[in-house]
Parts: sequence; C-alpha cells; structure tokens
Amino acid sequence: MSPKTIKFEIVTPERVVLSQEILQITVPTTSGEITVLPDHIPLVSVLKPGVIEVKRADNSSEIISVSGGFIEVTKDKVVILADTAERAEELDEEMIKEAQQRAEKLKEEARNVDDVQFTAVAAKLEKEMARLRAVSRWRRLKGTDNK
Amino acid sequence: MAKTKEISRRIKSVTSTKKITKAMEMVAAAKMRKAIEAVLKTRRYASLSWETVLRLAVLEKSKNDEAHPLLAPRREVKTAAVILITSNRGMCGGYNTAVINKAEQSLKRYSDVKTDFILAGKKGASVHQHGHLVTAEFEKNDILNDVNDIYPIVKMALNDYLSGKYDKIFVAYTDFVNPAKQIARVKQLLPVKTEKIDSYLGAASPTDKTESEVSPGIEPGAPLIEYTFEPSPREVLDMMIPRLLEIQLYQAFLEANASEHSARMTAMHQATEAANDMVSELTLFYNKARQAGITAEIAEISAGANALAE
Repeated sequence: MSPKTIKFEIVTPERVVLSQEILQITVPTTSGEITVLPDHIPLVSVLKPGVIEVKRADNSSEIISVSGGFIEVTKDKVVILADTAERAEELDEEMIKEAQQRAEKLKEEARNVDDVQFTAVAAKLEKEMARLRAVSRWRRLKGTDNK
Repeated sequence: MAKTKEISRRIKSVTSTKKITKAMEMVAAAKMRKAIEAVLKTRRYASLSWETVLRLAVLEKSKNDEAHPLLAPRREVKTAAVILITSNRGMCGGYNTAVINKAEQSLKRYSDVKTDFILAGKKGASVHQHGHLVTAEFEKNDILNDVNDIYPIVKMALNDYLSGKYDKIFVAYTDFVNPAKQIARVKQLLPVKTEKIDSYLGAASPTDKTESEVSPGIEPGAPLIEYTFEPSPREVLDMMIPRLLEIQLYQAFLEANASEHSARMTAMHQATEAANDMVSELTLFYNKARQAGITAEIAEISAGANALAE
C-alpha cells in the first residue's frame, strides 16, 4: 500500500508557491518547530521566519524559506498563508548574502532612528537569514543525494 | 465659404479631442495590464484566507460569549460604515455611478441604521449629496504597491469597529470579471458573515462564473472543526484576523483598480471610435459644402461670361 499523503498548499499574496500531495511537512511556529503528518488534528498556528521542509511521496524533499505567516491544518489539507516564501532551489546564495549585509547595515543605522523602521529592518534581516538557512539546508540535502 | 470654414474648424477640434482620448486609452490599457496582473496574483491567497476566516468564524460563533470580538456577531446594529472604493478621476464610463448606486441600494435594507461613509478615491464624494455623512477620505493610488498602502484604512475600520462606533462595516467595490465586464458589489467585512450568500472577494474569475458557483461560504450543516490553537486561541486570532481582513480589503482595492482601468479603457475606446465617426461625417459635409461652393462659383462665372458675349 502506498503511504498516506495529505494535500499541501503554500501561498503568498504574490503567488502560489507550491501545491501538491505530500507525506509530511515540518514548519517553524512561534512556539517551536512542528511536523505535520496525514491525519493530524486540526490546528491553527502562527509561523515565524524560518525553513519549511516538505517530504513528497517519492521521498524527495523540498525546502522553502518563509518570513512568517499562518498555518492551518484541517482533516485533509495543510494550508500555509505566508507573507513571503521562496523555494530553496529558486534562491541564489550570493544574492542573499548581499541582501543580508545590506539589511545588517540598515539595522545599525536604523537603531537610532525610530521603532517602526527598526522593526521593519529587523524583519527583513530575519527573512534573509531564513532564506540563507533554506539554501544551506538545500545544499546539504542535494549533497547527500549525489553520493 | 463661411460654412466650409466652420466645418473645418470643427474637424480640427474633434481630431484633437480624439488624440486625447486615444492617449488616455493607451495609458489606461497599460495600467490595466498591471492591475490585472496584480489582482490575479493575490486571488488565491485572498480566497484561501477568507475560507480560513469563515471556518474560524463559525467555530467562534458556537462559543457565544467568549468569541473573539472581531468574529462575534453583535446583537443590536445601530450604526454602520461603508468603505466606498471609487476612482480619482472621471472619464471611465459608468464605473463610479454603478458602485455608488449599488451601495445606496444595499443600504435600503438597513434603513433604520445610521450609515457613514469612508471614501477611497475622490469621485466618491458625491455621496454627500445623498445625505450621508463622510467620516474620512483616503487617497487612493492608481496602482497599489503592497498591503501597506491601505493599512491606514484597515486600522481605522478595526478601531472604529472595536470601539463600538460602528456595528457593521461594509466595503463597496467593483469586482473585476474580465476587461469587458465588471460588477459592482457590496460585501460585509465586519463582523464576519458566515452565511452561504456571502462569497469571498475576487470570487468572480476571468471565466465569468455565475453567482451560485462562486459562493462557497460554509454549509449550514457542515461539521464544526475543533481547531487546536498554538500558542493560544486568543493570541493566534489576534494576529491572524486583522491580517486576513487586511488582505480582503487589499483584494477589494486591487479588484476595484483593475475594474477602473478596464472601464476607462473601454470608455476611452468608445470615445475614440465616436470621434472617428464624427470626423468622417464632418469631412463628408465639408467636401459637399466645398463642392457646392465651387459649383456656385462656376455658375456665376459662366453666367457673367454669357452676359458679356451677348
């Protein structure tokens, strides 16, 4: 018997990032990382910036970086409403590092400006960090696949 | 001679009007493409998040007293506010009239409720004449950059609702179906209405579905889903509901913008066509008048020549 799968969809205001049948998903919530398998109890939780790991039925994985949002688990479906999300294979490490440095610099400058701006920059930095973590995890994953 | 001069002056003026309408059509077409792209991109997110809100609202309603303030229905409705989304400029056919009429019409059902208007877009100001109070007027960009653009409106609506100033909040906007068809709609934003008739925003897809197909809502007999909330229901809902409402309103703005530019493009296209017709008609008149002038002149000359020869 083929293993049980669950329908998964991750969308941002800009696009549908991924929509397919999956075996399991690991997401970073504000109260810690959780893994959702089929037949999970209905759940609503808040995401924090981090890395989502998805396992497909053919045992391949997908790494997605997310900058925050919500997850809703129902009986037959997992829906993630993300603020922004990118698949690791779409990300370029060099560009992220640059963006991260820019954000870091802005954060230093913004520290003595005002709260709103500082929060915005801090959020941006966290987003870049999440993207970077996603890429490095994707690299590791690919590396083991090639051996 | 005086007649041909007059006609040629009219031809000139119609031609220059045509140039303007043609240019406006082009501008509207470019803006429309951008606006349509934006509206289609967010539709999936908006509809998924609205489904989530609906499910949560059904769950919260069953709890009665401890329901989240944004989801709990109010027993008495005395005041309401309508967020009216219109265009900043005219020249877009019946676009503004349609949405204002629709708002007026749906307010008739609530005749005993005092209704205020919150405007986005300059053309909405005409509701003054219908005797409604306008509490705020927000600026609206022709192309929205991101959700932050409408944040002030969301914040005002939420605050006024939570403070009890308004018991219901509606949004009147124009749903974008396709470049040739837009439908003015009024949707209840707060409190979240779970009955089947109230479909989510952006429901009208480019394929032009009928009303019944696009109203998923929640079936009255659907089983309640008992969600687990992490960290706690209150914390999750406090973060989630305002954000999702923001998205709904954002979607309404995007729909309205796409509709506005489409409407303007169509209106300007028609104006250009009309100007074309007019120019060709006037040219015909001009030629006839010129010909008549020439004929008369020749007749005069030959008459003169005849008189001399005799």
